Amino acid sequence: MNSDGQPMRQTAPWPVEISQHHSAHPPDRTVAVEAAALNKWFGSFHALKDINLAVPQGSRIVICGPSGSGKSTLIRCANGLETFQGGTIRIGGAELTGDEKQLQKIRRTVGMVFQQFNLFPHLTVMANCTLALRRVLGKSRSEAVGIAVHYLERVRIPEQAHKYPAQLSGGQQQRVAIARALCMNPRIMLFDEPTSSLDPEMVKEVLDVMIDLAADGMTMLCVTHEMGFAREAADQVVFMDQGRIVETASPATFFAAPSQERTRLFLNKMLR
Amino acid sequence: MTTVEIFVGIFEGFRVTATVTALGLLYAVPFALVFGVAQYLTKGMARLAITAVIEFWRSSAVIILLFVFYYVLPVIDIQLPAITVAAMVLGLNAGGYGSQAVRAGLQSLDRGQFEAAAALGLPRRHILALIELPQALTRMAPTFINQLIQLIKGTALVSLVTLTDMTFRAKEIAESEYNPVGVYTSLLLAYFVICYPVTVFGRWVEQRIGGRKGLTNEF
Amino acid sequence: MNFDFAFAATTLPTILGVIGTTISVALLSCAGASILGFSFEIARRAGSLPAYLMRFTIDFIRSTPVLAWLYFLYFVLPHWGFTLPALVVGILGLSIYFSGYLAEVFKAGIDAIPKGQAEAAKALGLNRIDVVSFVLAPQMLRNVAAPVGNHFVSILKATPYLAAIAVPEMLGSALDIASNTYRYAEPLTVVGIVFLVLALTIAQGVRLLERKLHGPTNR
Ligand SMILES: Nc1ncnc2c1ncn2[C@@H]1O[C@H](COP(=O)(O)OP(=O)(O)OP(=O)(O)O)[C@@H](O)[C@H]1O
Ligand SMILES: [Mg+2]
Repeated sequence: MNSDGQPMRQTAPWPVEISQHHSAHPPDRTVAVEAAALNKWFGSFHALKDINLAVPQGSRIVICGPSGSGKSTLIRCANGLETFQGGTIRIGGAELTGDEKQLQKIRRTVGMVFQQFNLFPHLTVMANCTLALRRVLGKSRSEAVGIAVHYLERVRIPEQAHKYPAQLSGGQQQRVAIARALCMNPRIMLFDEPTSSLDPEMVKEVLDVMIDLAADGMTMLCVTHEMGFAREAADQVVFMDQGRIVETASPATFFAAPSQERTRLFLNKMLR
Repeated sequence: MTTVEIFVGIFEGFRVTATVTALGLLYAVPFALVFGVAQYLTKGMARLAITAVIEFWRSSAVIILLFVFYYVLPVIDIQLPAITVAAMVLGLNAGGYGSQAVRAGLQSLDRGQFEAAAALGLPRRHILALIELPQALTRMAPTFINQLIQLIKGTALVSLVTLTDMTFRAKEIAESEYNPVGVYTSLLLAYFVICYPVTVFGRWVEQRIGGRKGLTNEF
Repeated sequence: MNFDFAFAATTLPTILGVIGTTISVALLSCAGASILGFSFEIARRAGSLPAYLMRFTIDFIRSTPVLAWLYFLYFVLPHWGFTLPALVVGILGLSIYFSGYLAEVFKAGIDAIPKGQAEAAKALGLNRIDVVSFVLAPQMLRNVAAPVGNHFVSILKATPYLAAIAVPEMLGSALDIASNTYRYAEPLTVVGIVFLVLALTIAQGVRLLERKLHGPTNR
């Protein structure tokens, strides 16, 4: 916290233990998330097939693709909500081992926003934001509240802090969910279709917050079908189909001249 | 006496247990249907009166109802055999619970069902009998099965008003034979063999009606 | 013989004198049944063999009458060398009997928590204990509060069964008056009314609680 009580936007260092863990390969802190030859099965169903994807620190990558193509599965692997059976995932250079303690450490530095918001209904907006600050980072109540107020202002709803999630609109709930994740000062933010369960008139308020974040240089890995957001904020667009990455391109190329037929078909459907 | 003999001895009371259950159903099912439907259809004072009757049977402690009716009816010069009193009390208590399942089942139906039937010009009673009740019945089934189990188990009470049911037999045997483990384990088992199939059937019905979610392992 | 209202009134103080026993027994049994039921439900989530064993235990309990459990504990425990006061045996019996129902309450209360809740908590870096104690348990408690309240009413209405093993609660004291005065109708009617009023009042309280917990503020 600086003198006027605002928390400074300062990126937390990677947990020491994680980087020491792999001293043989010095961790590449310039890559926030890196999946290499990633394979994932649900029983006999092959959900992710040889995924190779790097999200450099400071970049914004949008993943799109038809329903069931494995977008959620991929993004959930990136913070250990799903296990995987082949390949590796590195977060800030540290390889995910599946160890519970390591996961908890890594998750502090990886923020996630869900399609269904997943706010805690029994806690106020403020308590939703301060829970992990206090329990995980061990901040004092006043410090946690200061940080929460800061991020609630950033998502433009500081006045709702005392309310319960059910008293908010969908758009407001999703902005609280973003603030809750930002409070942990993550190195990367994961978004899984953050606007797809919102009424159309609320999509913009959430996208505006996300575009702000992007403008501030937040590293983002974002599953979304909001092509406007992809055009404006993404460095790269990744197209997935049937568990594979079919095409990766800059937004300009992706929308104007996709190289793959499947991408073209998908875009035709998306853009009507 | 061997445990098997004790078990067989206890089952000598099965006739009474079964009779009280069967007679109880004769009270329970009509009461549940009539009062459940009546509560669904009526408004104002009529509904209040119906609710009062239901609540009396449902919210009273059944063991006390049994004693009250067993001892109070003769005082007001109504002489009924104990088995009739027991069946009535246990049946109407179960029927009280059943009526709430009937009403809730009817209320939970999509309003569109009634409107579609009414739009076809069906009279109210036909809408009820042909459209609403059949659909509500599936939703009531788990409660009805559960109440049947409650009724069977509730019949153990009749041993307290001197009817020779399975529980009464167990106490008789216990008096002539010091073998509490054998006697009371057999008693539990006797009810178990009767009720367990119904319990399993009830679970099966419940599963068929509402596809259950998987378990979470967080706890 | 006629119903003597004046005499009925004189029995009221004696019967109400032990209302404290009735309510304490119900509260303790409800706590015992909740702890047991919750444990069953947690054990059930531990794997497929525990799931099968717990399912069977719960179904066994649900398939046997409370009276049979009370006799079993009352006569078998001393035989095994545990001589407990009747009051304790009664609380134990009600706890076991109702644990079969409370287990279902906890199952539903846990299953009703969306999967995303635990995921969101984990994604924030909370450890397992914190996920359960700050995110899942509070939501489970809110989900089960009203159903546990409803079962408390059922437990309260089952306390008169304890008269069968000589616990001095309200039905027992009514039966004492009856056997001393040879008048059964009045004390039994009085105890019946007391239970009905008690049950209806608490049930109303539970409804208010339910409205408060699941009102517009929460979810
Ligand atoms: N827990 C699971 N068990 C079994 N199969 C699963 C599970 N989760 C996902 N799948 C399957 O894996 C595939 C990919 O699912 P995923 O949720 O990643 O798709 P998605 O691209 O996010 O789709 P959507 O756009 O509908 O969210 C789907 O076919 C899905 O049915
Ligand atoms: Mg998805």
